[in-house]
Amino acid sequence: MTAPTADRQTPDMRLILSRLRLGPVGLIAALAVLILVFSFLNPRFASIENLQNVLFQVSVPLIIVVGTTLVIQMGSIDLAPEGIMGAAGMAWILLSPNSRLDSDIGLWAWPVALGLGLGLGLVTGLIYAKLKVPSFVVTLGTWYVGLGIAILLYGNDLLPSLTSEGLARWPTQVTLGLPNSFWLAAFVLAGGVLLSHYTHLGRGLMAIGNNEGIARSSGMKVDLLKIAAFTIAGVLSALAGILATMQLGSGSPDIGFGQLFTVIPAAVIGGTALSGGEGGVMRSALGVVLLVILNNGLVLAGVDPDYQSGVFGTLLLVAIIAVAWPQRGRLKVAK
Amino acid sequence: MNIASSSRPQPGPSLVHRLSRAVAWNAVAPPLVFAGMLLVVGVLNANYLGPIGISIATASAAPIMLVALGQAMVLNIGSIDLSNAAISLFGTILLAMALPSMGLGAIVGVLLLLTLIGAVNGAILAYTQVPSFALTLGTLGILQTAALVTSGSETIYVSENRELVTVLYNTRLASIPLTFWIGVLVAIAYWAVLRFTVAGQNMTAVGKNERGALLSAVPVRRVKILAFAISGFTGGLAGLAIVAQAGSASASGLGSALLLPGIAAALVGGTSISGGVTNPINVIFGALTVAFVPIAIQAIGFGAQAQSLVYGVFIIVVVALTTTRARGLVIK
Repeated sequence: MTAPTADRQTPDMRLILSRLRLGPVGLIAALAVLILVFSFLNPRFASIENLQNVLFQVSVPLIIVVGTTLVIQMGSIDLAPEGIMGAAGMAWILLSPNSRLDSDIGLWAWPVALGLGLGLGLVTGLIYAKLKVPSFVVTLGTWYVGLGIAILLYGNDLLPSLTSEGLARWPTQVTLGLPNSFWLAAFVLAGGVLLSHYTHLGRGLMAIGNNEGIARSSGMKVDLLKIAAFTIAGVLSALAGILATMQLGSGSPDIGFGQLFTVIPAAVIGGTALSGGEGGVMRSALGVVLLVILNNGLVLAGVDPDYQSGVFGTLLLVAIIAVAWPQRGRLKVAK
Repeated sequence: MNIASSSRPQPGPSLVHRLSRAVAWNAVAPPLVFAGMLLVVGVLNANYLGPIGISIATASAAPIMLVALGQAMVLNIGSIDLSNAAISLFGTILLAMALPSMGLGAIVGVLLLLTLIGAVNGAILAYTQVPSFALTLGTLGILQTAALVTSGSETIYVSENRELVTVLYNTRLASIPLTFWIGVLVAIAYWAVLRFTVAGQNMTAVGKNERGALLSAVPVRRVKILAFAISGFTGGLAGLAIVAQAGSASASGLGSALLLPGIAAALVGGTSISGGVTNPINVIFGALTVAFVPIAIQAIGFGAQAQSLVYGVFIIVVVALTTTRARGLVIK
């Protein structure tokens, strides 16, 4: 770095090596160790039924984490998924065949519910990019707004449950050996990876996270990209809300409860820095798989569910310290 | 900036300048917003502003205010403490368990322990340089488990020495419980710390420009540990206020949902999420506003179901009105 003419190869090699060390290799190794240990503790862990169960559980946070990662990559934060999930899930079930209202509009329920998520995401992005309100605050607000919409739709009535047999069974049905929920999540994930690596939007978000000032002065439409990121995150949260509602078979304003505590640690464990400009959709997805397998394995190993948040928290601590340790420096600013 | 002024002694900021700073929009907005809300409630339904209404609102504002004051001190150095509400919840459980046997010693012991937990948060932050959001999210999970496990997921009633803490809730000054007045005293103390002490000025310096502070020999690590220790201590006081009100503690009871209202109160009180700007006195009004929103919604005639919705819109609107938009500033 100091003598650019001398040996240009060395820093490049070092860069590649450091990427390998911190990248998915470590994550995949950790996953493998976890799977081995849990299979040893309880043979049922490695059964086909349980693996399908894990894939079923992993689908909802997997869909959310794609949007959350895009937002975190540009250095912002998205706290809204739980709220948007509640609003979209509740809107979807009330417009599908349900036990409470006679307002079934068939397939049109999908665009309406997804549109609700899109609207909330768009408003979030507009307020953030144009009014310059910090994303933490805006998304905290849209979290509550989404929850509020869900509670208003829910009203004082009975819990609406899905009456269409076909829709209620769709998420668990197995196609080519994998549950449909997971196929949906995998489809979203593939889209997210393509978007993030091969489009102007995806690369632009990374550039904003790296240095917003430079991105802006080199002529990128920063505001537009920011709004797009939050809109995509809103649509994906809505999709996750619909899927979670289908999986449960009934609607609830709290359908997304606890997802934030899976998704954000997963992104961070996967190496997506909260300061932006680093990480990727695929890595965050591996983080989600790791956390869900950890949870599933602990339950099967007979650990009290009370310990779950403690285990997640400890893991998060160890992971962030391990990632940040080599990059320490007296002048480094970590907020 | 001004060459002429360097030759003669500085007269200090001119009166006009000081006045314009004193009435800066984001400095007066928090009390104005609260006054506006009081006005609306008073016009629509004056019953809510009677002695009983005020004592209910201030009692529910007290723990929010204490958590928010700790949060404001951490936000001021440019970090965030997601674990401080969990610290106070853990504190309520320890307090309820220790009070019967240890009396006043329990209060002192629990406050010391929670201050230490906060300081550990700060030390990890300062020495490993991890982002505070992720770090305190981790400690939040650990403290939640600690609260569940120590309480055995049950409600713990303070069987003896209960009056030692409940007196703080039952004693009223101007129909406002003592727990709220404790919060006011803490706010004034923190304001004085930030304004008149070197430690306080160092905190604001770190929040405004950490690298600059470091190069000016500000002990950045010590400042961070101190700010998080303050957050832990204030979280403990919030726990005290909760046990005083409930006479019991549980991991899912009163005080289990203080994190977001605490952050909202600090923000509505004019604290900047990006650091360097806070006024603990205004946080009092922020907490009052947050605690009054449910009451205002009822007074206006919305059902209780609209509460979340209004809450969300309110946070965005208030912060959008008071946030600073300096040119070229990067908002994250």
